[in-house]
Amino acid sequence: MAPFILLFIAFLFAPLLYAFYTSLFIERFGQPIFVGFRNYVNAFQDGAFWSSVVNVIRYAILQGVIMIVLSLILALVLDTKYARWKPLFRLIYFLPYAVPGVFASIMWGFLYSKPLDPLLQALHFDPLSSAALLYSIINIATWEWAGYNMTLYSASLTGVSTDLYEAAIVDGCNEFQLAWHIKLPLLRPTILMTVILSFIGSMQLFNEPFLLSALTPISQTFTPNMDIYAMAFNLTNLPYAATLAVLLGAITIFISACVMIAARVIGRRSRERTALRMSSEEVLST
Amino acid sequence: MVFLVVVAVYFLIPVVWLLIASTKTQAELQSTGIFSLPKRLELLQNIRLLFAYNNGVFARWFLNSIIYSGSVAILTCLVSAMAGYALAKFDFRGREVLFYVILASMMIPGTVATIPLFVIEQPLHLVNTYLGVILPLIASPFGVYFLRIYIRDVVPNEMLEAAKVDGAPERTIFWRIVLPVIRPAIVTLLLISFIGTWNNFFLPLVLLHNQSLYPLPVGVDVLLSLIATPAADQSMPIYQLVITASLLSILPMIIGFILFRKQIVTGLTQGSVKL
Repeated sequence: MAPFILLFIAFLFAPLLYAFYTSLFIERFGQPIFVGFRNYVNAFQDGAFWSSVVNVIRYAILQGVIMIVLSLILALVLDTKYARWKPLFRLIYFLPYAVPGVFASIMWGFLYSKPLDPLLQALHFDPLSSAALLYSIINIATWEWAGYNMTLYSASLTGVSTDLYEAAIVDGCNEFQLAWHIKLPLLRPTILMTVILSFIGSMQLFNEPFLLSALTPISQTFTPNMDIYAMAFNLTNLPYAATLAVLLGAITIFISACVMIAARVIGRRSRERTALRMSSEEVLST
Repeated sequence: MVFLVVVAVYFLIPVVWLLIASTKTQAELQSTGIFSLPKRLELLQNIRLLFAYNNGVFARWFLNSIIYSGSVAILTCLVSAMAGYALAKFDFRGREVLFYVILASMMIPGTVATIPLFVIEQPLHLVNTYLGVILPLIASPFGVYFLRIYIRDVVPNEMLEAAKVDGAPERTIFWRIVLPVIRPAIVTLLLISFIGTWNNFFLPLVLLHNQSLYPLPVGVDVLLSLIATPAADQSMPIYQLVITASLLSILPMIIGFILFRKQIVTGLTQGSVKL
């Protein structure tokens, strides 16, 4: 126990506390000066930071929805009796999990590059233009993580007892109804889990835009993490970088918690509604 | 069925492209279609160029990646097994609180702690060292959580009590009874942690400033950033170097992944679905 707690405190808790502590100072001529919450006051007026936060939230929502819907469809289709070569497809879809994000960005980055790609030249479409960039990054992230989420869904589907399906099929459910009315509600906790994990990941977006900036001009404040990195190492303002890091962490945790609470409330409501409908049907049938 | 095949093609396109592109010369890369095959396979020539670049620094990056991933994987397993065992089988004050703190810490975005980590490692002289990258990655809340569940469900209390009655010290119980029983879970965590470290980019990017200490992703980023420089087209086939380096960096992972997929899936699903 002791080694873990020691490492846990030294390399996770201490940096977080220390980040908060450093964020209360500014550096003047190499000397730290205590300024209280002035860095935070500055951060709240820092337009570049907030526009990067808005960027990344927009990205998190768009990418999250596209990826989770795709993963769900893949998992549900692979769970029907019509699909063949299931192990092969599952393997292919999950494969990008083994590819580091850096290399995924490089591969897609080259595929996006006009001089290398006659198809894009013919279409007069430039995925690396500033208008398309966000969607190009969404494509990379979806490629990387859709199979991973599909695997989680597939695993929780195989855990379901087949009695439930047989009962539904006896009642005249077709494969689509089975997926919509039985499998999807059963997946709800796993979906919530993946939504939260994907959101936390999206808020930290860094690798893909950072790598792509070698191929196309991307603002150094495109995402909060890029902003923080540039602040720490290009402008060497570590106290302010720490301030922004603390803020980003707080925003992420706050939104994740809100999503979890909302999901719980909605879950309870829909359960109540189902119970209500069932009892009213019982009343009607008697 | 058509849908499944179309999606499979989408997932395979970048990897297939990489395979083809790495067998072309730089001139062919720019003059031929992206999926058209080259006249002659230049893969070996490209690999030779890559290993010759900057006194073979690529081989060094490869070795570094193995050092980081290997030691993080082994130490994570050991530390997580000890902590998981304690959380699963010992009664001590604050056990529940500690467990929930560990669970909650899985919610904190990892990169948020990275810049402060850099600040804390500076006075400890850990910046720009192997240890500076390895130590922070060993404290894995996921690993502890995963092994706690496994040890609680799989290691029988009777066995531990019998060992205690026989007078076995705690250390012997851990090494001789707990570890062998949970071997399947250890293998799984070993793989997940190895992949996680191999894929990590942000942490080594922030903590290392010496090229000879870089793991593959950070090293290849250095190569990639040369593309924008004027030297790229004339003196060095930089596109070919980046492409070949990417292929050689992901190939071992893909092969290992295909071989060990079952264990990896068990770990990921047990760890996250049960949450």
